[in-house]
Amino acid sequence: MLSSIFGALGGLILAPLAGGFLSGVDRRLTARLQSRVGPPLLQPFYDVFKLFGKESKVTNAWLVFSAYVYLMSSAFSLFIFFMGGDLLLLFFVLTIGAVFQVVGAICVPSPYSQVGAQRELLLMVAYEPILILVFVGFAMCTGSFMIADVFKLDSPLLLKMPLLFLALGYALTIKLRKSPFDFSASHHGHQELVRGVQTEYSGPYLALIEIGHWLDLVLILGLCALFWHTSVIGMLILVMASLFTEILIDNITARLTWQWMVQKQSLLLGMGLALVNLLWLYVA
Amino acid sequence: MMNFLVFCCVVLPFVVGATLYCVQSNSLRTTLVPVTVLVMAMAAVGLGAGGPFHMEARHFLGLPLDGLFTLLDFVLLFYILVLGWNLRSRLVMGMTALQMIGLMYLKGVLAGHDPLITGFAPDGLSLIMVIIISVVGGLITIYGLGYMDIHEEHQHLRTSRQPRFFAIILCFLGAMNGLVLCNNMSWMFFFWEVTTLCSFFLISHDNTEEARKNAFRALWMNVLGGLAFVSAMLFIQKTLGTLSMEIVLQKMTALDIKSTAMLLPFAFLCLAAFTKSAQVPFESWLCGAMVAPTPVSALLHSATMVKAGTYLLLRMAPAFADTTMSTIVALFGAFTFVGTCMLAVSQSNAKKILAYSTIANLGLIITCVGINTAASMVAATMIIVYHSVSKGLLFMCVGSIEQRIGSRDIEDMRGLYNVMPRTATITAIGIFTMLLPPFGMLIGKWMAIEAIARATQAMTPILFFIALGSAFTVFFWARWAGILISSANLHEYPTSGLQRPTVLFALRTLCGVALLFSFLSPMVLKDFIGPSVAGVYARLNLRAEGFIPGAGFTGVEEYSWIYLLFIVLALGAWLAWRVTRRVPEKAHSLPYFSGLAVKQGNEIGFRGPMNVFEPARVSNYYLPQYFGEEKITRAVDVISTAFLIVLVGGLL
Repeated sequence: MLSSIFGALGGLILAPLAGGFLSGVDRRLTARLQSRVGPPLLQPFYDVFKLFGKESKVTNAWLVFSAYVYLMSSAFSLFIFFMGGDLLLLFFVLTIGAVFQVVGAICVPSPYSQVGAQRELLLMVAYEPILILVFVGFAMCTGSFMIADVFKLDSPLLLKMPLLFLALGYALTIKLRKSPFDFSASHHGHQELVRGVQTEYSGPYLALIEIGHWLDLVLILGLCALFWHTSVIGMLILVMASLFTEILIDNITARLTWQWMVQKQSLLLGMGLALVNLLWLYVA
Repeated sequence: MMNFLVFCCVVLPFVVGATLYCVQSNSLRTTLVPVTVLVMAMAAVGLGAGGPFHMEARHFLGLPLDGLFTLLDFVLLFYILVLGWNLRSRLVMGMTALQMIGLMYLKGVLAGHDPLITGFAPDGLSLIMVIIISVVGGLITIYGLGYMDIHEEHQHLRTSRQPRFFAIILCFLGAMNGLVLCNNMSWMFFFWEVTTLCSFFLISHDNTEEARKNAFRALWMNVLGGLAFVSAMLFIQKTLGTLSMEIVLQKMTALDIKSTAMLLPFAFLCLAAFTKSAQVPFESWLCGAMVAPTPVSALLHSATMVKAGTYLLLRMAPAFADTTMSTIVALFGAFTFVGTCMLAVSQSNAKKILAYSTIANLGLIITCVGINTAASMVAATMIIVYHSVSKGLLFMCVGSIEQRIGSRDIEDMRGLYNVMPRTATITAIGIFTMLLPPFGMLIGKWMAIEAIARATQAMTPILFFIALGSAFTVFFWARWAGILISSANLHEYPTSGLQRPTVLFALRTLCGVALLFSFLSPMVLKDFIGPSVAGVYARLNLRAEGFIPGAGFTGVEEYSWIYLLFIVLALGAWLAWRVTRRVPEKAHSLPYFSGLAVKQGNEIGFRGPMNVFEPARVSNYYLPQYFGEEKITRAVDVISTAFLIVLVGGLL
């Protein structure tokens, strides 16, 4: 028990390093796809250190509270993941962070962050059900919601839940704010929303959000890895493939508008994939 | 002793109510109401501490109790008939007349010579309900003392109508306690109809055109429920030969194969419960009920009325376990959950958001009832308990806010923290207790999802509905919480406003109860809810597959993991709060406005043409084009009616 706690804590300390490095890879790959050289691999760390060195400037103190709660919830849900804990608990703890990021954005009377927050809420409506359904898929295969029980299975879950894996990829794109679902906080310097839901977070508090985002990245890739738990190489391949696909999709798709997302029922596409897979598990 | 406690919970409120109505004295009311509430709460806790019991209750003041209830049943129905006449409503009159005929047939022909039934036989669930009704309902009544004073000041009434108001409220609480304690279904029916009548009076209390209209809608829908109840009693008497809930449950669970004829009365009971719990397509009466003064909405939505329906279903659930009917009930509940969550998204009226969220949570409870395993029963009870507390609290908050700022629109609550710091904080806490872990509601929802995932029947579509619905839940709660603390100042230094002591007392106590009971939720689960469900399953010789969600997390087969969760999250929140308080005043900046931000008074904006100040106006997305009431209510009603037709018609 104690060793697993220490293991999880160790993982938690390493996670920001891995997450930062992965987002460095992301930026580099994106640059190459766009025929640029791109920043050094460690650029995200430089950015965050620089942000920490900035003077704090906020409109409303609640924003600071929200930033810390967001980081805490990301860290705690990652801790639950490393402990092999309950997937539903992990999901609910992750929700705390998402809710507080939005609360922080709404508590400032700024049109940019408010619109970003509303869009973020819409995106949450799109990805939360998918995550729940994916976790239910795990429960149907292992008989419990415990992550530890996944490792008791003999064959990779990918064979049983391929569509759920795709659906998870869908949720992943939204959670990582990649195109075409990056309309709540665009990364690409577009004019329309400045930084959407993150407009008002600045300096050290933006750094906290950034670290929280790295942790989320590690968590989600970890979830992807669970689909091929039987071999370490398999896990690595799956994680790398997912990440590369995400980056590719990010670069070859245009951003949606939220109306498009609701009207074209793309909201339901991921859930539909998940549902079909669940029904299949139910029958098989 | 038990006699006395039951008397305090059921009869005493009626007696005090009648006294208040007859004496019409202000000073008497302000002393008598809190005392009665205290006595009721203590009696309820006393009953709860004693555990399930049997009480024959043959006589009351020397009169045969069964005959008395029969008489009261008819008096009540006759009164509703007269009411229907006064309202010029053939619908109400017709349905009431049918109820009277049914009851006459039941009492005169079918059950004429049956042996007397045990009067009171509460199980664990009933006792939990009594405590909720007496404590939460009692606090709302105390809140009403302060609220109604201000309410009547606003109305400029010549004579106060408060004696009538509190008399009805107390009768309402007494009737609810009676309803959950009774074992004899025909007695229960009396209390069931009393709650219908009380809610009619309370909704029409302000006597405006709208109030009368909405009260009438509540009346006819609940009279329809009453008719379904009478039909159910008739069929139960016919097939099982008794009206004792205990014996009905024993006989039904002993059956190997439940034939359609056996299940039909339970379909009618479901219908009765759906009307009372305002499930779609009957949701309109509960949404309309918000025209009443706030204590009424708080009562209807949290401790009383709507919980009567879920109580009835939860109590009767083992009778129809493992049937297709049960699965349909679960699907129906899940559909209500997702439908009303969507409707809530489109609302900016705080009371309407709360109303739809109530209906949604009742739908979730009914889903658990339909899943019909020990685990789902525990989840349902958990949600009933914590929903009552949080929803009662939120309604009272909205009532206070409305009296201060003159609006119940959440857009008008921007920066409320500066105007009403304590109430805004309590409201935000109330919202988080509805939405986030580690609070009780979410643990209930978690258990519900686990229970559904482990059940076997039609689980995938139900889970889909629940997953989708809970995402919408986040949508409408999170933005409200953000609005409450919205401000352009770094730190607010609010001065506390004037608040009636009774109002503040009720708000603080219930908020404390919500937090404390969430922290104690492992104990509540282990010592009350778990044993109560296990007791029912043991008595009925059913296979109970209990489980403890998340137990593997700490490796302990206890509920102690919740403490861990609580401690980690509380510690994190406390640290975040400390840092937040220490942000120096010089760190303040205006929000980003493309470099043009200007502050004028308390408003942020920019200088437009001609150097005119243009304030920034922001508003939430309510998406009326997708989720508006006029867009989807009709579809929701049609689909849910189809469910009801399948439910009842499938068995006929």
